[in-house]
Amino acid sequence: MIRLEHVSKRYGNTVAVDDVSLEIETGLVCVLIGPSGCGKTTTLRMINRLMEPTSGRILVGGRDISTTRPEELRRSIGYAIQNVGLFPHMTVAANISVVPGLLHWDKKRIARRVEELLALVGLDPYAHAAKYPSQLSGGEAQRVGVARALAADPPILLMDEPFGAVDPMTRERLQTQFASIQQALKKTVILVTHDLDEAIRLADRIAIMESGRLVQYDTPEVMLARPANKFVHDFVGADHALKRLSRIKIGGYVKPAATVRVNASAQEIASALGGHRWGWVVDEAGRPVGWIDARDLPSAASLSEAIVRADTDEIAVARTATLREALSRMLGNGMKSIPVIDGQGRFLGEITLRDIETATAEAEP
Amino acid sequence: MSSPRFRRWALLALLAAGFIALVSAMKLWEVSLAFLFPQELQVVHPRATLLVLVWEHIQLVAVSSALTLLIGIPLGIWVTRPGGKELQPVVASVTSFGQTFPPVAVLALAVPLLGFGLLPTVVALFLYGLLPVVRNTIAGLNAVPNDVLEAAYGMGMSRFQALLRVEIPVAARAIIAGIRVSVVINIGTAMIGAVIGAGGLGSPIIAGLVQDNIAYIVEGAAPAAMLAILADQLLANVEKEFAHAPDIIASPA
Repeated sequence: MIRLEHVSKRYGNTVAVDDVSLEIETGLVCVLIGPSGCGKTTTLRMINRLMEPTSGRILVGGRDISTTRPEELRRSIGYAIQNVGLFPHMTVAANISVVPGLLHWDKKRIARRVEELLALVGLDPYAHAAKYPSQLSGGEAQRVGVARALAADPPILLMDEPFGAVDPMTRERLQTQFASIQQALKKTVILVTHDLDEAIRLADRIAIMESGRLVQYDTPEVMLARPANKFVHDFVGADHALKRLSRIKIGGYVKPAATVRVNASAQEIASALGGHRWGWVVDEAGRPVGWIDARDLPSAASLSEAIVRADTDEIAVARTATLREALSRMLGNGMKSIPVIDGQGRFLGEITLRDIETATAEAEP
Repeated sequence: MSSPRFRRWALLALLAAGFIALVSAMKLWEVSLAFLFPQELQVVHPRATLLVLVWEHIQLVAVSSALTLLIGIPLGIWVTRPGGKELQPVVASVTSFGQTFPPVAVLALAVPLLGFGLLPTVVALFLYGLLPVVRNTIAGLNAVPNDVLEAAYGMGMSRFQALLRVEIPVAARAIIAGIRVSVVINIGTAMIGAVIGAGGLGSPIIAGLVQDNIAYIVEGAAPAAMLAILADQLLANVEKEFAHAPDIIASPA
């Protein structure tokens, strides 16, 4: 657990951080967010004593960090920064080995750890361990940066815009990957960003700062639904309702729906629909391949002509997707309901526009 | 193994061996200089053989350059640390002054204090070679990217560890480039030592100037030029050993 107690940082007359108190529970991701110059990076850097607070104190695991030697403290806290800061004269493996080396791990253990970490961040150890940073792409460098921060398995990870310097597509991939790594490792993470979507995607708690002050500290859901003041309201923007949808997974809102096999007879169709007007059409493997409108049946020459075929990837969403993605899919296809599929692409049920409305109302925290 | 690295060093060793063979062959020099300058009665300086002169010259350069590095690099490091930062402009201008001040003048001033011979020459060469080393050390260390430094400290390196493991290796190419310039200048400038009896390849040149004997001058100048090229290549090879450190300053010295 990390605790900031009335922490302030002043430079002459300017106040960078103004009386911030914050408690971050073990195993959670806390995102510090705010416009540039709001003091979020300064706050982060005080936690590993790259900066010293002017007043107030910071406790890590119940211990005042000002009593620990800065070097010692930092070796127990992972640190990843925006421009990665890989050491250009060292190989990827040597970069990752720095902190374990400072902690005097033996060589074999370090080598094993490097391999493990490269695999964890999705890089092939054999292809990348001996490379130099100049030979890496931006995304690869960021991953090595994360691997390096995790090297000595620190319980705490400080990240300063760790996915800032890459293109949006790579960033999203890295965020997704980081979320799954975090799911497995359960580190206490403090991440600084100015990207609200990133915060909503990754945070268990969001701390929003404005000119040095902590304005609101809440779960993303609460922050989006009940912004503490006008600043937060403006910061989360006019699409805060949509952003809330991106915090909710589809899983709980999937409902069973009528399905018809592609090769079903007219009778089977009638009984499958059971009076409903619409039914999803699935192939032999159970993948949704289109839908059928009962009213088209009498006039159609054959069953296959009555099926409105559609690309599974176009119309369906995965169960692990968010309501926001489902809504976007619906709007994109002009449909009021869409099929939900499992990992293998098999039909699980459907989700409707009405469900999303209900979910929005229910999710009101 | 025939890696580019092996080839670089093999080529250098070959050049060095060729150079030693060439300066050892006094007969060859006598014959070719006599052929080139038939008007001269005597074509090789009688004081010592070329090999001895080259050896004296190398000693002169080695001692003064070693002194330059021993003082220059720590000086450059010190003025980029928090403790010495205020002195950076002072050190930079004093070392510049060291180079603008002609070595001959240094000799003239040093002789009354230090007498004739090796010592005043070494002092003059040391001062003259200091600038490129100090300047490149400062420039190289100042050019270490901020995020690299922040990462080093953020990972728990002490100031000394960061300097040793990160800053100096990253700045290595710039520092070595400065050493290279300094040593090559030094080889040329060491000629003046002969004026006050420090020996070296300057001896035949001074004698040639005094006695109006072109052959003597060539005898001193040609090996000195070759020595400079060899030293330059040697340090270029050393610089290439740090190829993975980035070229952080656009035009080294």
